[in-house]
Amino acid sequence: MPREDFIAVDHFSFFYGPKQALYGIDMRIPERQVTALIGPSGCGKSTLLRNMNRMNDLIDGVRHQGDIRLNGNSLYDPKVEVISLRKRVGMVFQKYNPFAKSIYENVVFSLRVAGRNRKKELDEVVERSLRSAALWDEVKDRLHDSAFGLSGGQQQRLCIARAIANQPEILLMDEPCAALDPTATLKIEALIRELKEQFTIVIVTHNMEQATRCSDRTAFLYMGRLIEYGPTLEVFENPKQEETEAYISGRFS
Amino acid sequence: MSSAKPPAPDPKRFEVSKRTLMLDRAMTQLIRIGGLAVIIAVFGIFFFIVREILPLFSGAQVEAEEVVSTPGGDVQILGVDEWGEHPFLYRGGDEVVFIDMVSGERSVLDVPSLKDVEVTASSFDPVHRRVAVGLADGRVGSFLVVYQTEFSEDGTRTIVPTIETEPWFTVSTGEGKVTALSYGDGGDKRLLMVARDQGLAALRLGKKRALIGKPKLTLQGTVDLTESMTSGVVSVTASQNGQAGLVSGADGQVRYFQESGGEVTLVQTFEPFHGAPPVRMDYLFGGVSVALTDAAGDQKVFSLFRPEGSNQRLFGETKEFPGIGTGAPVFAPSLRNKSFLTGAGGQLSVRHLTSGAVRWEGFAEFEPVAATIDGKTEHFFIVGHEGQVQRFSLKDPHPEAGWRAFFGKVWYEGGSEPVFQWQSTGGSDDFEPKLSLIPLIVGSLKGTFYALLFSLPIALLAAVFSAAFLPHDMKRVVKPAMEIMASLPSVVLGFLAGIWLAPIIEDKVPSILLVCLSLPLSAMLVGVIWSRQPIQVRGRFEGGREWMVMVPVVLLIGWLAWMAGPLLEKAVFIYKEPESGREIADFRLWWPQATGLSFDQRNSLVVGFMMGFAVIPVIFTIAEDALSNVPKTLTAASAALGASRWQVVRTVIIPVASPGIFSALMIGFGRAVGETMIVVMATGNTPVTEWNIFSGMRTLSANIAVELPEAAPGSTHYRTLFLGALVLFMLTFILNSVAEVMRQRLREKNKLV
Repeated sequence: MPREDFIAVDHFSFFYGPKQALYGIDMRIPERQVTALIGPSGCGKSTLLRNMNRMNDLIDGVRHQGDIRLNGNSLYDPKVEVISLRKRVGMVFQKYNPFAKSIYENVVFSLRVAGRNRKKELDEVVERSLRSAALWDEVKDRLHDSAFGLSGGQQQRLCIARAIANQPEILLMDEPCAALDPTATLKIEALIRELKEQFTIVIVTHNMEQATRCSDRTAFLYMGRLIEYGPTLEVFENPKQEETEAYISGRFS
Repeated sequence: MSSAKPPAPDPKRFEVSKRTLMLDRAMTQLIRIGGLAVIIAVFGIFFFIVREILPLFSGAQVEAEEVVSTPGGDVQILGVDEWGEHPFLYRGGDEVVFIDMVSGERSVLDVPSLKDVEVTASSFDPVHRRVAVGLADGRVGSFLVVYQTEFSEDGTRTIVPTIETEPWFTVSTGEGKVTALSYGDGGDKRLLMVARDQGLAALRLGKKRALIGKPKLTLQGTVDLTESMTSGVVSVTASQNGQAGLVSGADGQVRYFQESGGEVTLVQTFEPFHGAPPVRMDYLFGGVSVALTDAAGDQKVFSLFRPEGSNQRLFGETKEFPGIGTGAPVFAPSLRNKSFLTGAGGQLSVRHLTSGAVRWEGFAEFEPVAATIDGKTEHFFIVGHEGQVQRFSLKDPHPEAGWRAFFGKVWYEGGSEPVFQWQSTGGSDDFEPKLSLIPLIVGSLKGTFYALLFSLPIALLAAVFSAAFLPHDMKRVVKPAMEIMASLPSVVLGFLAGIWLAPIIEDKVPSILLVCLSLPLSAMLVGVIWSRQPIQVRGRFEGGREWMVMVPVVLLIGWLAWMAGPLLEKAVFIYKEPESGREIADFRLWWPQATGLSFDQRNSLVVGFMMGFAVIPVIFTIAEDALSNVPKTLTAASAALGASRWQVVRTVIIPVASPGIFSALMIGFGRAVGETMIVVMATGNTPVTEWNIFSGMRTLSANIAVELPEAAPGSTHYRTLFLGALVLFMLTFILNSVAEVMRQRLREKNKLV
């Protein structure tokens, strides 16, 4: 039975130095669904996403209030090892960023750093991950070629394969199609719809159609505040807040 | 909305102003000229250096002049004045013929003491221009050819030759006519080696101080050496210090006699040519080496040196020259350097002892019977049977130079084996410059090696730490601090190293060893213990602040190690005094005894520290930039996949930054190789060819700094320093080229997109 509050954001505020980026966000993200975060640039949606695997720790001078719980456990518990947290929460970035390695080595990176080097296991993981990322048929004959030889869309799917290789529970996607052409975007979207069978997906997007096409729930953030959050169809067809309606109808961006 | 019409657009709005265009063109040209000028300047320096060193590698230039005939009998001796203008011939009678090469005039001077005697042997000492003669009745005598040079008021030079006769001495031992003789003039001590039909004798001459007038030359004793010979005498030569003589016998043996305390004793017998006796034995400039030539034209040089395990200087073969041709050999040593002219049967060659090289080779128009070189080694003369005299101009400003002299092992006079040695100047005129660049190249590489050994790990680890671990606010302090470190003038560092650091660490070597060992070990230990701590403890010092825990511990352990140094010294580094058997705990004494290597106060350790100090900021800054510039998307991707900080560094940051790190390394290397002031002041500048960490060194750059002020422009020494500069230039050039190729490969391998 999937949990309704798989990711629980509790009155979460976030600061970059003196600048506050998030104001008391409260939301519950259900398991094995796609939740889209939308909102104009600078509204804090990426900040919220990047807090779900504590990537913002890498930035100096940040602090937070409130809490984010993953399956009931606080991310900010002093007992939490960030490294193992990030193994539970995979991430795909806006700009595809494969390493300067072969396709194979890119996929197995998370296993290698965990010290898992058995060839048989790695081979299985590569095939499974690439199949899940709908890339296997395109690259199976050149697994040991450089990842830079792939097209942009393929590279992004490789990044998705890399992120799911270690079978995380959650997959965070920060505008995964921003740097891709429409065909590649459609492929990624189809992939997202398939991946939600296995993973809880949180996706940040600027693209309204994308949100409607592939998300189950949508949260609208504006100026660091969560304005509206609900099932995608409801948010788009029957927004409760004025700002939401203004945004989705394109009156401001 | 106002109803006013918008103003008409400016028709000139698409034009580019003349000023913009001109400035654009001017700047383009300026940048082009600047770029070209840099390239031209670099090549200009290169060509200047090459032009300075090229003469080092050219041989001697010899030009033959007109033959002057002087009819008469067989010439025995040919000599010349210092200027090479007035050669003289002696034919064994009582006349000396002088030729003025400027006017072509001939003049004859009589030797009064030679009237009505039968000269059966003669020899010539070009240093004193003394002709020694032996007579059929067993008497020996000599005369000097003296050139008096007068300068008139308008500066023209007139040379007036005169003859100075010297007294006769009677050889009291042996029988028959004098067959060979040699006069060794050492000033107060002189030795006349005389061979007669039967018998061999050494006449000791000495100067007796008279009450009035000049000291008188008298015979102080005659030593009969006949007993020492087992066969007939082929040739004799007396040394220029008047204290030794060499006699070659028909059995091929050369016997070395030495005078001491009135006795002349046989010191050594050697066989240079497997049975064939040397027909000529000629001392070379300096009187330490003798060129031996046999009838077949083989030529070898034997020098005096102390063989291993002996305390007596004996002759040993140091050089073998190519054959000089067949026929009666002629020989003339230079009076200025270790060159000599030799040849047989019309073949002539100018050779140089130190480099063992044939500087020039050619053929004379006639077969010479005697040869001589003038005092400045600018001309040489040969004379044929019929009295044909020919002058050759000789231009060989750098006879001691050559590939072998610079880069090969050379057997120098007095040395017991061929060595790489740099010793460009000496105290005496007959000093043999030792110009091997190998000790300097080794010195440069040695200094660089120890500097990099110290600085590379520190600089690279510091760069990694600063770029990937250190919080931003601390990095803002650390980086400029490192850059200030780079701006310290190296003369200050050198001064500190030589005057302050070297004496301090001289007697603290065990402490330093312990500290060098314990610092990294303790740091690793702290790391291991730290990583075992629960996350709650580690969390308190997160984000690159772990060093706050580590540094005090490491410092404490380092301090303990420093303090334990003397204890280690007492326990391990014990020197046993050979005579008394007393034991002294002192590393400085122990090191030479245990390893056979020297221990100097100003050693590579000091240079390693100080030059390392100069190199660290260079490597750090460039490597840190390279590491910091790794795209954040990659480090983030790696971190998001669950890599630890070190795994991010190892798998992503270092591979991507490797070309930059490599550049940092090479620039650090270049800095260390070219560094001058620190090594000048802190190394002792001893040109040794060894890698011992406790001895000094002399680097190419320090050598140039130290010696260029005292090198005469155009001299071999001067040009050799330029050669050193070129070697330094090539060293860094080749290294940088290789590095650039490797860097490109690394970049290709790790390129982004």
